[in-house]
Amino acid sequence: MKKIQYKFLISALLVVIVVVAACKKSFLDKPPLGTLNPQIMASEAGVQGILIGAYSLVDGEGAPGDGFASGASNWVFGNVAADDAYKGSDPTDISGLQAFEKWSTMTPTNDIIPSKWATMYAGAQRCNDVIKTLALTDTSSFSPGEATLITAQARFLRAYYHLELKEVYGNIIYADETVSQDNLDVSNSEQAAVWAKLEADLNFAVANLPATWPEIGRANFWAAKAMLAKAYMFEGKEPQAYLLLKDIIENGTTSNGTHYALLNNFYSNFNPAQKNSAESVFAAQTSVQDGSSTTWNGEPNGNYGDILNFPYNAGPGACCGFDNPSQDLANAYKVDASGLPLLDSWYTGNWVSAPTSPYTGPLDPRIDWTMGRKGIPYLDWGPHPGDDWIRNPVNDGHFSPKKNVYAASQKNFTDVGSAYWAPTELVANNVNIIRFSEVILWAAECAVKAGEISNAMDYVNQVRSRVMDHPETWVYKNSDYDAATAMYKTHTTMADDYKIGLYTPATFTAANAMQAVQFEERLELAMEGHRFFDLVRWGIAEPVLNAYYAREKTIRPLKSDAHFTAPKNNYVPISQGDIDNMNSDGTVRLTQNPGY
Amino acid sequence: MKKRILLSSLFMLFCFLQSMAQQRTITGTVISNDGTPLTGASVVVVGQKTGETTGSDGTFTIRVPESAKTLRVSYVGYESEDIPIAGQSNVTVTLKSTATNLNEIVVTGYTSEKKKDLTGAVSVVNVGEMQKMPAGTGEAALQGRASGVNIITSGQPGANSDIRIRGITGFGNNQPLVIIDGVRGDLTDINVNDIASVQVLKDASAAIYGVAGSNGVIIITTKKGKTGKAKVTYDGYYGVTTQGKGWDMASPQEEANAIWLQQRNSGIANPSSKQYGSGATPVIPDYIQTYSDTNNHAPYGYTLCNCPGDSIVDPKFYNINTAQITKANKAGTNWYKEITRNAPMQSHNIAVSAGSEKSSYYVDFGYLNQQGILKYQYLERYSIRANTQFNIKDHIRIGENAYLYYKTNPKQNNQQEGSPFSMGFREDPIIPVYDIMGNFAGTKSQDLGNAQNVFGNIYRTKDNIGHDWAMQGNVFADVDFLKNFTAHTSFGGNLDNYHYYFFNYVHYENAEGNTGQNSFYEGGGYSASWIWTNTLQYNKLFGDHSLNVLVGTEAISNYNRYMEAGRSDYFSENPNFWIINSGSPIGKDNSGGAGQSSTWSQFAQLKYAYKDKYLLSGTIRRDQSSLFTDSARTGYFPAVSAAWRISQENFFRPVTFVNDLKIRYSWGKMGSTSAVVSTNAYNLYDANAGRSYYDLQGNSTVPMRGFYRQYIGNPITSWEGDIISNVGLDASILNNKIDFTVDWYKKKISGLLFDASGTRYDRIFIGDANVPKVNIGDMQNTGIDGSITYHGTVGKDFKFDVTGTITSYNNKIVSIPGLPYFDGPVIRNVSVQRNMVGHAVGEFFGYQVIGLFQSADDVAKSPTQSGAAPGFFKYKDVNGDGTIDANDRTFIGNPNPDFTYGLNIAFSYKNFDFSTFFFGSHGNDIFDNNLFFTDFPDFFKGAMRREVALNSWTPTNTNTSIPKLSTTGNFSTDGVTNSYFISKGSYLKNKQMQVGYTFPSSMLSRVGIDRLRIYVQATNMFTITKYKGLDPELQSASNNNGGGQGDYYLGYGIDQGNYPHTPAYLFGINLNF
Repeated sequence: MKKIQYKFLISALLVVIVVVAACKKSFLDKPPLGTLNPQIMASEAGVQGILIGAYSLVDGEGAPGDGFASGASNWVFGNVAADDAYKGSDPTDISGLQAFEKWSTMTPTNDIIPSKWATMYAGAQRCNDVIKTLALTDTSSFSPGEATLITAQARFLRAYYHLELKEVYGNIIYADETVSQDNLDVSNSEQAAVWAKLEADLNFAVANLPATWPEIGRANFWAAKAMLAKAYMFEGKEPQAYLLLKDIIENGTTSNGTHYALLNNFYSNFNPAQKNSAESVFAAQTSVQDGSSTTWNGEPNGNYGDILNFPYNAGPGACCGFDNPSQDLANAYKVDASGLPLLDSWYTGNWVSAPTSPYTGPLDPRIDWTMGRKGIPYLDWGPHPGDDWIRNPVNDGHFSPKKNVYAASQKNFTDVGSAYWAPTELVANNVNIIRFSEVILWAAECAVKAGEISNAMDYVNQVRSRVMDHPETWVYKNSDYDAATAMYKTHTTMADDYKIGLYTPATFTAANAMQAVQFEERLELAMEGHRFFDLVRWGIAEPVLNAYYAREKTIRPLKSDAHFTAPKNNYVPISQGDIDNMNSDGTVRLTQNPGY
Repeated sequence: MKKRILLSSLFMLFCFLQSMAQQRTITGTVISNDGTPLTGASVVVVGQKTGETTGSDGTFTIRVPESAKTLRVSYVGYESEDIPIAGQSNVTVTLKSTATNLNEIVVTGYTSEKKKDLTGAVSVVNVGEMQKMPAGTGEAALQGRASGVNIITSGQPGANSDIRIRGITGFGNNQPLVIIDGVRGDLTDINVNDIASVQVLKDASAAIYGVAGSNGVIIITTKKGKTGKAKVTYDGYYGVTTQGKGWDMASPQEEANAIWLQQRNSGIANPSSKQYGSGATPVIPDYIQTYSDTNNHAPYGYTLCNCPGDSIVDPKFYNINTAQITKANKAGTNWYKEITRNAPMQSHNIAVSAGSEKSSYYVDFGYLNQQGILKYQYLERYSIRANTQFNIKDHIRIGENAYLYYKTNPKQNNQQEGSPFSMGFREDPIIPVYDIMGNFAGTKSQDLGNAQNVFGNIYRTKDNIGHDWAMQGNVFADVDFLKNFTAHTSFGGNLDNYHYYFFNYVHYENAEGNTGQNSFYEGGGYSASWIWTNTLQYNKLFGDHSLNVLVGTEAISNYNRYMEAGRSDYFSENPNFWIINSGSPIGKDNSGGAGQSSTWSQFAQLKYAYKDKYLLSGTIRRDQSSLFTDSARTGYFPAVSAAWRISQENFFRPVTFVNDLKIRYSWGKMGSTSAVVSTNAYNLYDANAGRSYYDLQGNSTVPMRGFYRQYIGNPITSWEGDIISNVGLDASILNNKIDFTVDWYKKKISGLLFDASGTRYDRIFIGDANVPKVNIGDMQNTGIDGSITYHGTVGKDFKFDVTGTITSYNNKIVSIPGLPYFDGPVIRNVSVQRNMVGHAVGEFFGYQVIGLFQSADDVAKSPTQSGAAPGFFKYKDVNGDGTIDANDRTFIGNPNPDFTYGLNIAFSYKNFDFSTFFFGSHGNDIFDNNLFFTDFPDFFKGAMRREVALNSWTPTNTNTSIPKLSTTGNFSTDGVTNSYFISKGSYLKNKQMQVGYTFPSSMLSRVGIDRLRIYVQATNMFTITKYKGLDPELQSASNNNGGGQGDYYLGYGIDQGNYPHTPAYLFGINLNF
C-alpha cells in the first residue's frame, strides 16, 4: 500500500515537472501591454498618425529633454538673448538663463542649452519615422498621391526642425532618415551639406504639397515656399529668397485657401480666438482642456514654452514673471512728430514708463500690444499696475509680456485644474512661426539688397499702414475689451499718445533703408523670438548688443558683466553633454562651435 | 547517582585488567541533553594533541595513553565536559547546550541549516530585540539589527525606506529581495509581531535566488503554533511621538532688518519693501494685506494711523479672491509648530497559537495606529495572520500561511521641493495662518516670496483617502519518502488592491497659482503575483559524510493594472460631493496602465560536510525572464562556498578559550534585471495626448491623434552579472560568552544594466524614444561587516547581553560606457551629484569654498573668479591656473558613510529588564539643499534662518561663514554647487530604550495568567550629530525634476526637507495566558 502511494506521488511530481517545463515557452511570452508595434503602425492610418506626431513637436514641447526654453516662441534664444527682454523672475530662479542676458558667462555646460537641441532632433526623428514606416507599408490601398503628400509634409517638418537648430546652434548635423542608431556616420564639420539637405527637403515640399488642406494647421505649398525663403535669408541668398517672397506676397494663401493678408488688427495675431488667420503662414498649434496632462512636469498641449511668461502675482496666470520686455525695447517705440521711429536716438532722453520722469512724447501704438505697461489696460485684466506685477523690478524692469497671454474673458482658451501653479498659463494661443508681416519685411530686406529702395519702402509702409489705418484697433482706456476681436469697444481715450506714420522717399533713403527695415522688424516682431537671430543674420549682433549692455549696466545689476563677442556668441555653444555623448566611442562627430 | 556508581565500578575493573598496557582504547557516545546523538563532537585527551570526532550516531573510539586521566568533549553550542577516564573504556557523555545561538536553525533559501554549519555570510537577526522597536514597518524594526544591511527610514509613519545590503550596487533598483515564508513579499506592511526569524543572505548564499539575489535576500519566517496547549498572547503599547524642536527662523523684525542689510549691501542706498516701507529702518506693518481701492491704496504693508485711510482694513471690503485683508503676525508664525503635533500611537496584537502531533496553528490579529507628527498624516492598519500546519501520517505535512491587511496611510510628499517640511521654513513668519475672516493667509500679500501657506496645504489634504487591501501567503505540502527524500511544493503569492482619491483646492492665498479651478482625482489598481515552487531534497549521512542535495523549479508571474481619472471645476468643495461625475466634463483627465512579467527557473544545491569540520556547498540556478528576448533570456548563476571549522582540528584543541572557530569562503554569481521593463527589447509606438496629439484643425480643444515612437528596443539586453566573493570568520570564545562574526567581501557588478547613452542612442539617432537598458558599466563594492555578542551573568540574578553590528562598504564606479562620468539630476538650479569612474555613486561635485573674501585686496590677490566680491565665497583653485572656472570643480562630499553601526544592550535583574538600542552612521556627508531657501534671500524671498539674519558677513562682521546678503546671486554665491551646502552627516541615535518589569508568576497563576510584563519605552530619544537640519537620517528622494538614470539612488544624502524622527514615549504590556 505504502509503495503504491510513493509511486503515485513520484509519478505525480514528474508529471507536474514535465507539464511546467512544457508550458514554459508560452509562460515566458509576456509582451508589453498598452503599446503598438511597428507592424501595426505600417498602415495608412498608422503612418498618418505618426505624421501628426511629427507635427506635434512644432511647438517645441512634448519630448524628453524639453523645457521652458525649447518652446516654439524662442523667448530665450530670440528675446532674452537679444535686447528685447530680460529673463525675469529672481536672478537665481533658473539661473542658467542669466547667461542669455549677458553672454559673457555662456558656457557649454549651461543647463538651458540642451533642451532645444533635444526637442528639435526628436522632431526630426519623428519625421524620419514617418518616412521609414511608409517604406514598410503596403501603399497599394492608399489614394493616389497620398504617400507623396505624407512624405512632403514630413520633409517640410524635418527642414523646419533643422532650421531652428541651425539658427540656435550654428554647426549642426542633418538627421535625415539614414541617420539612426545603425548609422552613426555623421559629422557637423560640413555645414554646406546641411544647407543643401535642408533646401532639398523644402524643395521637395514645394514641389509636392497642395495649396490647401482640410486641416488648417497642415503645411501647404505656400508655407513650404516661405520656409524656403527663410532658409535663403539665413543663407544670405537674398536674390533667391526675393523671388519666392514676391510670389508669396502676391499669390500666397493659407491652408484653407484664404489669401495671405495683414489683418486690420495687429493684436488679432496674438488672440487665441482669431488664430490661423490670413496672416498666419505657419504656426505652432496649441490646444487645451483636451485630456493632455496639466500636472507639474506633465505633457500638456497648451503653449508650455511660454508658461512662465506671465505677470507675477495677479492678472492672467499669476505666475511667474519671466520674459519681461526690456526698457530698450519700450524706448524703441518712441516716434517723432511724423510718427516715425527714432532710428538713431531711441535710447536718448527720457525713458518710456520710467518710474521717475518718464518719457511723455508720442509712441508707436504697437507698444501697448507688445508689452504691459503701468497704467495701460492689460486686455481686460484692468490697468497694468506696474511693478506690482514684476517679480524683481531691479533686474526685470517694469514691463510684462503681452503677445502670449489671454483675456480674462477667454478662460475657455486656458487649461483647467489646480494641481500646480500654472494650468491657467497653458493657453491655446498659437505661436506664430512665420507671420505674413515678416514675409513682407523679408521682402523689404531683399529689395534693399537689390537696390529697389522704393519697393522696400512700400513693403515697410504696408506693415505700418495696417496699424496707422486702423486707430480703432489701438489701446483705449475706460473701455470694455472685446476678446472675440481683440478690440476695445469705446474709442474715446487713447491709452497713451499714439502716433504712427509712413516713410516717404525723404525719410527712407538708400542710406538708411536697411536700418529702417531692420528697425521695423524689431517693432513689428518684438517678443516673437526673432530678434537675436535677425541681429546675427544681419551681422550686427556684437555692436548692437554691446551698446545695449553699456546703457543697461548702470541700471540692471545682472547685466554688470555682460559682453557679447562675435563670432563666438553668434551661436550658443553645443551642450558639452551632447558632445560627450556623440563622441563617446572616440569618433569625433560633433565639434564645438568656434570660441567655446 | 546510580550511573556514577556503575561507572566507578567499571573504571576499577578496567584498571585492573589493563594495568600493564601502554595504550588503551576508549569508546563512547556523545549525546545532547535532549538525548540526540551529536555528530562531529570533538573528543581529546587533556594534555595531548590527539583527538577524534564523533560519527553520525554520536559514537567515537579513541586510543589514549595509559596515563591519560581525562577526556575533554566539546561541541559547538554546548558546554565542554571533562570526563575522567581512569579505569573506563566506554563512556556516555551528555553535553549541555549553551546560551549560544549556534544551533539556531537558519533558513537559507530553499533549505535550512544550523547556524554553525553555514558556509555563507548570513546575518541572523535577534528577533526578540528587534520586536522591541515599536515599528510600523519591517524596515524600521530591522534597522541596525543585521550587519551588512543599511536601512534608512523616514520619520513618516508608513513611508518606504531605503534598504541596501552591502551598499549601492547599481544605478537602478538597489532594494533587496524579501522572502516571507517562501513567497516574495515586502517589509513595509508586515506585522512585525508575526515575525519568528529574520536572516539576511549577503554573499553567494543568495545565488540560489539567481536573478533576484544580487541585492541580497532578506528571509523572514513567521510564527507557527508550538506543541502544547493553546496560548493567548497580547502585546500592546500606547505612546506619543513628540513634535520635535523644529527650525530656528528669524523673527519678522530680524528678517526685515536683514532685508535692509541685503539691499544696502547691493548698493541700494534707500532700501524699500512693499511690506516694510522705505525708511532708514524697516517698519513691521500692522497689516500685510488690505483692501485695494484700485490705485488709491496700497494693498499691502499698512500701518494703522487712526485716520480715514484705516478704512481699507474694514472687513466690509473683504473679498477672498480680490481683497483679502490680513493682519501681520508681528511676533512671527512658527510654521513648524503649526504643521506638527504631539502624535499618539498605539498597537495591539492578540495571538492565539497551539500545536499537537497532528497539527498546529497560529492566528494573530493586529491593529496599528501611528499618527504622524505632521497633522492629518497617519498609518492605520488592521491585519490578520493565520498559519496552520497538519501532519498527515508521519510523512506528509500540509499547511498554509496567510496574511491579510487593510490600511489607510495618507502620506505627504517628502524630500522634495514643496513638501511640507520643505515649504514650512520658506513661508515668511510675518504671514499669519489665517486672514481676518479665518481664511488662509499667504504670500499673495506681495513681496514675501513665492512660498505657500504650508498649514493650508496639509489641511486641504485631510479629506483625501487612500486604502490598501492586500493578501499574502501560500499553501504548501511536504512529503517524506524513500527514507531520505523530501518533496516540497508551495503555491503562493500576493494580491494587492488599492484605491485613493484626492481633491486639489485653489490656493487663493498664495503668490503663485492663485487662479484656476479646483479638481478631483480618483484612482485605483491592483497587482497580482503568484509563485509556484517545487523542490526535491535528498538527505543522507554516510559515516562521517553528510550530504544534502536539492533540486527545484520555480515559476513566477506578475501582473498589474491601474487607472486614475480626474475632473475639475467642482461646484461644491464638500467631500460628500466628490465623485468623478460631479466635476465639469471640460478638461477631464484620465490615465491608466498595465504591466506583466514572468520568470521560470530551475536550481540545484549540494551541501556536503565531513565530520562537521569541512563544509562545502554549491548551487546553480538557471533563470529565464520574460523581460528578455529568447536569445538573451537564459542566465546561469553558479556559486560555491566552503567552511573549515578549525576548532575541530586536533592541533587547535589546546586553544581552549576558543570554543568554536570557523573560516568561510564563498564565491558566486548573481544577476539582476534591475529596472528593466517588458518594453525593453522592442521598438514600440504609443499615442499620448500631450506628446503626440496635435491640433491640426485649430479648434483649440480637440487635437488629432498622433503617434510617436516610445521605445527603442535592444533585443540583446540580458542579465546584470554580479560576482561576489566573501571571506568570513565565525567564532565563539571564552566558554561561548562571546560570539563574533566578521566578513570581508568584494562585490563586482559587470554588465551593469544602464540606460543606454552614448553614441548609438544619442537623440540625433533615436529622437525622443526611450532608450533601452543595455549591459555596460562596472561597479564594485568592497567592505567589511561584522557582529559581536557578549552574554554575561553576574551572580545569580543579573544577566546581560550586548550585541554590536557594523556595516561598511566602499563603492567605486569602475567604468561607465563611453563617458568618464554622468551628472545627477538638476535640483532646482544645479546638479549636485556626479557619478564618475573611480568614485562612489552619488558623490557631491562642485566648488570647494575655502572662506569668504574679506576685502577688495583679498579679491585682487586671489585667483580670478566670476562675481568675486568681499563677503562672497572664495573657491579653491583646484588646478592652480589662477582662474576659477568649471575645471576647478571637485568632489566636495560623499553621501556614502564609512560605516554604519548598531549597538544593543540588554540586561535583566530579577524581574526587571532593560534594553536599549543605538544606531549610527559615520563619515557620510549631507548636501543641505534647504539652505538655498533659508540662507540666500536673493534666491526666493521668504523666511530666513535666524543665524543668517543675525550673523551674515559685513565689513564689520567678518568672523562668519555666512556670506554677505545680496539681492542677486552669482557664481560666487548660490549660483553654483559649492561646499557651503555640505555638512558632516555622521550621527548616533538612541533608537529605543525601555525598562520592563515581569510580575512573579506565583502572583499571576492565581488569576490564570502565565506571564505579565509591563514596560515604559522611549524611541529616538536623542541624536548626536553636528548636522543642523531636522534629522540627519535622510531617505533618498526620487527627484521631482526628472532624471534619467533610474530614480532610486538619486537625491541620496540630499536634504530637501525631511520628515524627521522625533522622540516618542510609550507604555506597553506583554501578556500570556
